[in-house]
Amino acid sequence: MTLLRSAAAAAPLCAACSTPPSAPLPPVGARGADANARAAALVRAGDYAGAARRYEEALALARSVEDLDGIAANAINLSVVYQWMGREGSARDALKIVLDDPKRSFPERRRLQAELRRAILELAARDRAAAAEWTARAERRCERLACELAPALLNVKSQLALEGGETAEAARFAQAAADAARSRGDRAEQANSLRNAGRARLAAGEPAAARTALEQALAIDHALADPRKIHADLVELARASAAAGDRDAARGYLERAQTVSHAARDPRGLEEMEVQLRLR
Amino acid sequence: MTEAFRPPVRFPRLLAKVNAFLLVAALLMAGFAGIVAHKQGWFVHQTMIRVITPDALGISTGMPVKLFGFTVGSVREMQLVPGGVDVQLGIMTEHMARIPKGSRARFARESGVIGASVIEIIPGRPILGELVEGEQIEFDRSRGISEIVEDFRRQAAPAFAELKSALSQVNRSGEDLSVILAALRAETEQLPATHKAMRQFIRNADRAATDFSRQAGAALESAQRASESIERATPLLAGKLATTLDSVDGAVGQLRQTAAEAQETLRSVRPMIDRSESTMRDASEVFSAAKRVWPLSDAFKDAPDATLPIDSFEARGAPGPGRQ
Repeated sequence: MTLLRSAAAAAPLCAACSTPPSAPLPPVGARGADANARAAALVRAGDYAGAARRYEEALALARSVEDLDGIAANAINLSVVYQWMGREGSARDALKIVLDDPKRSFPERRRLQAELRRAILELAARDRAAAAEWTARAERRCERLACELAPALLNVKSQLALEGGETAEAARFAQAAADAARSRGDRAEQANSLRNAGRARLAAGEPAAARTALEQALAIDHALADPRKIHADLVELARASAAAGDRDAARGYLERAQTVSHAARDPRGLEEMEVQLRLR
Repeated sequence: MTEAFRPPVRFPRLLAKVNAFLLVAALLMAGFAGIVAHKQGWFVHQTMIRVITPDALGISTGMPVKLFGFTVGSVREMQLVPGGVDVQLGIMTEHMARIPKGSRARFARESGVIGASVIEIIPGRPILGELVEGEQIEFDRSRGISEIVEDFRRQAAPAFAELKSALSQVNRSGEDLSVILAALRAETEQLPATHKAMRQFIRNADRAATDFSRQAGAALESAQRASESIERATPLLAGKLATTLDSVDGAVGQLRQTAAEAQETLRSVRPMIDRSESTMRDASEVFSAAKRVWPLSDAFKDAPDATLPIDSFEARGAPGPGRQ
């Protein structure tokens, strides 16, 4: 009886909201969501080929019902997984689904994500001009850098400046990225910004300041437990220590980086080799 | 002639008395049985109708059958048939006129979720005609508690979504307020420094006034020494100087009063700021707690984004986790 009374009391509230009850997912939508969830599980398990197949399936299902948000989301996911697999061409092709189709009105958020992903791909391929162009496009869409991807965008700009030898600009963008990431609670981008700041300081001839920033980045990356980033932090710390004349510390960082790399079954980076050669 | 001997009788007419007692007892028993039979409705003509239910859980023989809350019969018999259980309902014939064809039966409880179980007849449309002996009517199973709760949850979910939106707006407003409070607090933190500077200024003004007074006195003395006659001739100048000194003294007093008021204002504003912060913290805790409580917790679950995180680290061209 009490339950019925409570239900009767809540009924006017529900009626006042006048929102129709959420409809159950249609079969295709449910299958797409299922494929997406399975792909995410495979990513967590490290099976990127399997994840790519699942994302392709989810993309096909989203296309069959013209679910624009689903198409864009799965295309972006495919680009991420393809890049991890070393298939940069396929990653670019996946992003073209969103970027080269002005007729379809993909959500602005997805277009921004796709443009930023493209900038990241171009920068990874050392094509600075294309990366700068895509970064500028993403920045125009991210009004006054107030969007959720602002920290990542600023970090890409910082890396672009660093690649161009503009260390002061790189440090400034890294600092802005760190502030934006901290205010949004985005720890991954906060660590990236600190790493970029460390690299910029090192390039500017300030190894002590670089080590401070890199140690902070390493602490966050330890908390995030990402071996690739821990490896990158340790390699940068080895460089900074070598630049400061502390060869023992540099050797210690390098040994730790090698241990991390071997434990994660990652091939040793060229940068690490370069540092080792300098130390010898 | 002597009278015939008659043996003494201890209980005269005993047989008649026993017979009368037995007769009264039999009449009483018959009357009691008749009352019981009447109460049980044995003398009321009943019409049997049937319902088939796939699940007879909670239904038992003798269970009352109600129409508009009034008992019109009872469950007479139950037997298994293909596809469920055949339940025979004995309905008093005089009430059959109120149970037309198309009527439905359902399992219900008299006091909502808990209470005595009954079979409730929901009458159909009278134009369809009356039910006849042995005819079957449809049976609806009542919903269980879990179904009622689930239905309520489904109905209430949109309301909770709206509530979530409203609360997020309140949260956003709270962020703005906390920014304003932070700015106000920063300004307030600077007030002691301002106060200190003001006191320093007052001290300087005091010292300056004293010096000025001393110098003015010395000047007057020298002027007196230099020309007593001129001094006598110009008493107005001395009066003006005294007025000026009075004005400076007044200004210094005013500054002291202003500083005291500023200090008092600071003292009265600080508890208000502390209370505001405390209120904001309490409100935040209430919102957080409300979000964790069922059934709000379901409504406040953040919808997971379907995309993988976009990480600027990938721009370094570092080997991906999937490359071998």
